[in-house]
Amino acid sequence: MDGIGAEEYDRTYGDRELVRRILSYFRAEGRRMLIVSLAVAAASVLTTALPVVMSRAIDLVASENAGGGAVAGIVVAVALLNAGSWGLNAVRRLLGARAIGNVVLRMRNDAFGALMRHDLSFYDRYPTGSIVSRVAADTQAFSEVVALTMEVASQVTMVLLIFGYLFTVDPVLTLITLALVPVVIGVALGFRRLAREVVTQARRAVAEVSAHVHETVSGINIAKSFRKEQVLYEQFTTVNRQSFRLSWRSGVVFSSIFPVLFTIAGLGTAILAYGGGLRATGGGLTIGGWYLFLQGVGLLWFPLTSIASFWSQFQLGLAAGERVFALIDAEPQVTQTGREPVAALTGAIELRNVDFHYKEEEQVFSDFSLTVHPGETLALVGHTGSGKSSITKLVARFYEYQGGQILVDGRDLRSLDLAAFRAQVGFVTQTPFLFNGTVLDNVRYGRNDAGDEEVAAAARRVGAGDWIATLPDGLATEVAERGRNLSLGQRQLIALARVLLQDPAVIMLDEATASVDPLTEALIQEGLDELLRDRTAIVIAHRLSTVRQADRIVVLSAGRIIEQGSHDRLLQAGGHYADLYNTYFRHQSLEYVQAAGALN
Amino acid sequence: MISEFTAAGSAAADGRPFDTRSPWRWLASHLRRHPWLLGGAALFSVIGWSLFGLGPVMVGRVAQVVIDGQGSAALLAAALLVLVVLLGDSVFALSNSLCAVTLGHRLERDARDELYRNLLGKSQTFHNRQRVGDLVARATDDTRHLNQMIHPGLMFTADMVLGFVAPLVYISLLDPRLLLVPALYAAAFAVTVRDYVRRLGPVLMNQRTQYGRVAAASEEAISGIEVVKAAVRETWERKRFHGAAGIFRDLFVRQGKIEALYLPMLLYGAAIALALLHGILLLRAGSIELSQLITLVGLMNLLRIPTFMSAFTFSMVQNGLAGARRILHVLTATTELDQNRGGRQAAVRGAIAFEGVSFGYRDNQRVLIDVDVRVAAGETVAIVGQTGSGKTTLTQLVNRTYDPGAGRITIDGVDLREWNLTSLRSQVANIEQDVFLFSRTVAENIAFARPGASRAEIEAAARAAAAHDFISAFREGYDTSIGERGVTLSGGQRQRLALARAFLKDPRILILDDSTSAIDSATEDEIQRALRSVQQGRTTLIITHRLSQIRWADRILVLAGGRLEASGSHDELLAASTVYRRIFSHYDVALPPLRAPAPAPAGNGAAPAAVSAVNGGPR
Repeated sequence: MDGIGAEEYDRTYGDRELVRRILSYFRAEGRRMLIVSLAVAAASVLTTALPVVMSRAIDLVASENAGGGAVAGIVVAVALLNAGSWGLNAVRRLLGARAIGNVVLRMRNDAFGALMRHDLSFYDRYPTGSIVSRVAADTQAFSEVVALTMEVASQVTMVLLIFGYLFTVDPVLTLITLALVPVVIGVALGFRRLAREVVTQARRAVAEVSAHVHETVSGINIAKSFRKEQVLYEQFTTVNRQSFRLSWRSGVVFSSIFPVLFTIAGLGTAILAYGGGLRATGGGLTIGGWYLFLQGVGLLWFPLTSIASFWSQFQLGLAAGERVFALIDAEPQVTQTGREPVAALTGAIELRNVDFHYKEEEQVFSDFSLTVHPGETLALVGHTGSGKSSITKLVARFYEYQGGQILVDGRDLRSLDLAAFRAQVGFVTQTPFLFNGTVLDNVRYGRNDAGDEEVAAAARRVGAGDWIATLPDGLATEVAERGRNLSLGQRQLIALARVLLQDPAVIMLDEATASVDPLTEALIQEGLDELLRDRTAIVIAHRLSTVRQADRIVVLSAGRIIEQGSHDRLLQAGGHYADLYNTYFRHQSLEYVQAAGALN
Repeated sequence: MISEFTAAGSAAADGRPFDTRSPWRWLASHLRRHPWLLGGAALFSVIGWSLFGLGPVMVGRVAQVVIDGQGSAALLAAALLVLVVLLGDSVFALSNSLCAVTLGHRLERDARDELYRNLLGKSQTFHNRQRVGDLVARATDDTRHLNQMIHPGLMFTADMVLGFVAPLVYISLLDPRLLLVPALYAAAFAVTVRDYVRRLGPVLMNQRTQYGRVAAASEEAISGIEVVKAAVRETWERKRFHGAAGIFRDLFVRQGKIEALYLPMLLYGAAIALALLHGILLLRAGSIELSQLITLVGLMNLLRIPTFMSAFTFSMVQNGLAGARRILHVLTATTELDQNRGGRQAAVRGAIAFEGVSFGYRDNQRVLIDVDVRVAAGETVAIVGQTGSGKTTLTQLVNRTYDPGAGRITIDGVDLREWNLTSLRSQVANIEQDVFLFSRTVAENIAFARPGASRAEIEAAARAAAAHDFISAFREGYDTSIGERGVTLSGGQRQRLALARAFLKDPRILILDDSTSAIDSATEDEIQRALRSVQQGRTTLIITHRLSQIRWADRILVLAGGRLEASGSHDELLAASTVYRRIFSHYDVALPPLRAPAPAPAGNGAAPAAVSAVNGGPR
């Protein structure tokens, strides 16, 4: 289940710290919460008073000498008590909803703020689903616990008041009534355990049905072209029947809870009717008092069941709150030592004796040095895991390095204003990320203040703008979730336009290898030519054409530079680059394409 | 209904089809299959509530015994009667629940079964219009809503009605005049609760939607965190999130406000006071006894239950109806292809002709426009064009995944619609872009076309597709399961499995919509060889990203915006098509001078490309 598993940054807060933390969120709601508490207390008193007044009314009419005024008084009292507790509950709900809404909003904003603060190492380590569930679901669960606490607090008060009053009327009968409490709570807890078990099984069965339907619908064209519908249908029937059996069982458990509790309540009513009746006949109790006990049982059993289930729900809610706090409190690893302003960069980059690792046990760089000159296009090649991407990610300051220095135009990267620096660094990844909105909005993401015309101009500079015509509504095309409605090639073109608009001094490119049709690939190539002109560029190269055109090729292996130079020179040398060429680039060459016809 | 699939032994095969004319009728036709459960639920509910209402009456009897001082034996008897009545109520309430639970779950099961069968029978046109997630939601969530609509939805509705009727009946038995207050209350309740539901419904729905937005906003920011940071947009994203979370807060407060001012509860309080007053007045007039007054108060207390329950009962029924409507929408959507069981069944030679073919997935959308192509049996044709130019669609028309909107497609000179669908599809293999593998073993996936195939045949197919080596490298070899709990395969591996699958099927026409990401040169060599051997002696249509495939196809079709822009061999196109030249412009190769104008086919069919296509048979 997303979000339930503990993460490394989770911590256990001491009770006092947790309470202090929760209270700090409620501080701004102090007045509201005070009124809410008063309303809870007052409503409990009124609710308890109602059966008392009713029993008095019965005694009063039983005595037969009550005046019309007394009767009117009783009726008015009943009406006022009902109206009063309705009003107080309304106040409690109104202010409570506002207070809880505000607290949750504040928690969510803090949690999201923490998300923006964290560096990429955080997101590498923890799955998106579980982080999202902290921001959305855990805050929600926490709010439900607050509402539940208010509800239960009012019910506990009521139960105490009822018992207190009953005790003054008849201690013996009160003790008999009290004996019901552990029975009700025990039964409620027993059901909870049973319910948890059947629900887990039922949920698993439902998940299985869902998975089966999902697979069938996704693979429907295969099933059809191979005419396998009957086989699939038989499998489905098995899964569907099993789901029926298991969820039916959980349905039975849940629907028997209330009848069983009703049985206990009925038993209590009968016992009190008899016991109270004996006392009343003996004169120890008025008829109104007898009736009061019967009413008392009716008022008790519902609060009792909710009190029984409160503690575990309360703890779940607190744990949810704890998870949100842990997310807010987790320390980002990337920290700047200064915020020096950054003027226009020339694009000189130097990694000097850098030590770096993502995880302690896997060192990526030890004492690594590399210099990139202004305006140079540097191609990084090497096997997976040789450290190519790590270089670009360190320069973009997505990760903290453990030793050495990174210098930009001769200044320490750690001392710079990060936002100002990043504004001059363009970063294009293999699978470009698109946000909800139009294509135009997504290009504008490169520079927020750019006008529509400027954005469109940047888009047209990529691949001569031909690709825009292939979008259903041109630049106004809405991007569906993650850009599902666009091809990977189109997404890459948008990312290139985004960086062109940003017009950075330094460009870092994890060049895409993924499948694009040859025509789009030609367009991307043209876009790249435009982008790399006159800028410092570090390119993780996957295309032969890029490698060939680079000013310098750096061959990496296990975090070290093992060869560098131009394509022709390195190929002639017949060393590591020549091996890599045969592994990754040979099939992209025209020689290969021409020779493929002879493969027959 | 004409469908691509009709299951044998299905629930509807007993000759009683479900009535799909309206959601209510459809539900009724489902419920009618379980008369005993339905009747039982109704009967037990009525008996249960009769007993429950009898409870306060029995308590009143006890009061009578106490007031009259009839002695402890009479008291015990009266108290036991209370116990019997209340226990009886519990038993019948439980029985009622069991009937309703079973009914609800059966409805869920049957509706899901009906929907699933129906989905299997739908044409690909239908399936391509639908999102997978949406169909899954209908088959799971909506069917569950149907279940909840019966239990507890419909059961609660019955409880609410009986929760009013039973106390009112018993009150009328005390003294018909006493009905005045509760009857007025019932009327006022009906009016106010209607208003309440109307106001609360939309708020709850908006809130659910907004919750989704809040979660989506944070999910999007996290997934795109690299871009967010690189573009220095943290503040902007934070503002966006605050906006979404703020709207959620406002909706939450609105919900609290509506719920806080739940008017029926206030009216109920007033009704209690008025009923008490009315009762006392009648008591003083000597019309009723004190014990009857106690009974009256007890019965009035019972009205609290339906008052309290009404708030959430309606939404369950509404959800269920909405679910029924959404399911029906799928059930009644027409399927456009029919199997044509009586159609032509013959061995395919493999000549394909598109004659003036136009096609759109939706009305007034044109993905293919007036395409004329002839492919000779055994020819290999590469299709080139940008994403969205109609390449994939063109190939999907060949195995009748879709039928063309205008024009016709023939295989061996026979219109596709005149072929028996099974016969046709068993001879056409389509290896799609995104290779779909079922979460079963490797062997089962390869043998999907021929479940009876021997292990030796499967291995032979895998060898021919250059897949045997990597399969053997798995610890469990051909018995390795694929998918969520099994191994994950690279794009190249998936594709080679699909090729093996096609080999085993041994089709006459092969369609390859291939897209493999990031492969190395050695894998490329293997795939090349696999493709070459699978193409031997078959008509092959390839949409490919491999220049070598394009370069060496017998013929290349260039598509742009759904039209056939150019057609010819590599050398011809290099000389004639600017679009085609662009592909090779990044190679250090001298392109031949462009011959103008390019020989693009005219829109109306009789085009030079089509003519040259007829002449350009297999070499």
